[in-house]
Amino acid sequence: MTASLRPAHGPLWYAWKRFAANRAAVVGGGTLAVITLLAILAPLVTPTGPNAQEFLMDSLAGPSAAHWFGVDDLGRDFWTRILYGARVSLTIGFSAAVCSILIGIPLGALAGYYGGSIDWVVMRVIEIFSVVPPLLAAMLLGALTGGGFFTIIVIAGLFGWVQVCLLVRAQIMAFKEKEFVRAARALGASPGYVIRRHLIPNAISPIIVGFVLAIPLAMMLEASLSFLGIGVPPPTPSWGQMINTGMQFMYFYWHMAVFPTAALALTVMATTLFGDGLRDALDPTLKGV
Amino acid sequence: MTAFILRRLVSTVVTFFIVSMIIFLMMHSIPGGPFDGGEMPLPPAVRDKMMAQYGLDQPLYVQYFKYMSGVLRLDFGVPFQAPGETVLSLIGDAWVPSLVLGGLGVLIGAPLGILLGIAAALNRNTWIDYLASATATIGLTIPVFVTSMLLILVFAVWLNWFPASGWGAPINWVLPVTAYATIPLATYARYTRSAMLDTLNKPFVTVLRAKGLSERKIVYGHVLRNSAIPMVTVFLPMFIGTATGSIFVEAMFRVPGLGSYFVSSIRTRDYPLEMALMLMLTVMFCLAYLISDILYAALNPRIRHGGQGK
Repeated sequence: MTASLRPAHGPLWYAWKRFAANRAAVVGGGTLAVITLLAILAPLVTPTGPNAQEFLMDSLAGPSAAHWFGVDDLGRDFWTRILYGARVSLTIGFSAAVCSILIGIPLGALAGYYGGSIDWVVMRVIEIFSVVPPLLAAMLLGALTGGGFFTIIVIAGLFGWVQVCLLVRAQIMAFKEKEFVRAARALGASPGYVIRRHLIPNAISPIIVGFVLAIPLAMMLEASLSFLGIGVPPPTPSWGQMINTGMQFMYFYWHMAVFPTAALALTVMATTLFGDGLRDALDPTLKGV
Repeated sequence: MTAFILRRLVSTVVTFFIVSMIIFLMMHSIPGGPFDGGEMPLPPAVRDKMMAQYGLDQPLYVQYFKYMSGVLRLDFGVPFQAPGETVLSLIGDAWVPSLVLGGLGVLIGAPLGILLGIAAALNRNTWIDYLASATATIGLTIPVFVTSMLLILVFAVWLNWFPASGWGAPINWVLPVTAYATIPLATYARYTRSAMLDTLNKPFVTVLRAKGLSERKIVYGHVLRNSAIPMVTVFLPMFIGTATGSIFVEAMFRVPGLGSYFVSSIRTRDYPLEMALMLMLTVMFCLAYLISDILYAALNPRIRHGGQGK
């Protein structure tokens, strides 16, 4: 009798069902998976290196069977450049998202749990971050540190944590007065234990969502900075950089502009759709704005 | 209400000064100075004299207070890249194209976005809704310089309908304004849709329906007005937020606006110009948040009468 009253499936099963029913999210996730696989397996997919100027005789040649995306102005196979660009973009997006949650979770947890003056300080810091346009601050920080791969990751993380922090804070504030948390406290659990053992696990869906949605933001920031010439320095292949170069050639060599543009648009959009779908699936009460 | 406004005002002013200090510090910590000369270095004596002339040899906090006291009297100093002018006149000249671009973009994009959002919410799960959602997602996820690039490729390079760059005649405006308008269009479409759906699911709408009010009156007389409250709070910050997007649009279409100064002033360590631009944006952001908070409190009786607007 009692067995029939138990729900047939766990919450993850329902989340998966909701996700699978969202066609855009499934397509986005699939596309992202393919792009990630291609980026990881880049050396197997293409024979040349991203910086090998092996085709100087064919510089600026359009797409052909030998060079799917053509050859760039410096005699490099463009398909290879784009593939390795995916590595750069995805690595930066992923690492920056890790940075974001590493800053956002502890701050959000502290602010949400203790409230009072700690919350006040964290909220004022967030206010400061919200009135500074991220891109301009990133430009300053980029110039300050000389740019480069790791700097971009830190900068993107620095501007990505706010969202995660707010989500975690809200979740912890909602849970900290619940009975099971009070019970744990009454049994003598320390605040650190309560946060780690009870509150963070209950905030896991917003954390996952914040994590995934921080990825496309970081990728866009990297592309924007590289486009302006203060991001990842050449010859490291970056799509933003390639779009900038492509602009100078686009009247006569369209492939230089079209492929990096399409690659960036496709990747960012796939990641966002995947993240949006994940949000709707994991927590139907969180609304997309 | 007055106490609430006062408190917000004080916190805004404090935030502004903290941000200005951080920006000033960061700006001056960037290695290199404005008179290093790059390829053709100046003799050290000449450089020191120029640094002294602009007061750059003084301690940072003195420079900061000097600059900020000038700012309070609307004196933003002299840009290093054009010593014959003032920062204010330089910004004044470049301001116009940026304002035309941004203003037209928002004026065209925002109403279209709101209409799209309303249409999507009223026809939920039909092709209109899917079209609106797709448009919003594409507009929000594709960086604006990518949109610009596609517009240039299609309409300037292949079809040759519009010029790809320049700013002289209104025909030059078409592509940059279109590129720029995609940002407010997407943002407002998405936001309006979710605000409308939120209100449509409220119990009072059910009550109105039960009372037999026509759907038309419900939507235009009640739902729209109630959805407008959350929208007001995001309107201004979003408006200013699109200003950052203009840097790219201006760069792509070679518009002689403020955008290029953001990049060049950082590159050449043009401290007065850079500081003025950053402060300008910070002030606009601060004001936007302040005004929208006050508007929100004024429009929402629960906050107005509760007095404890957080």
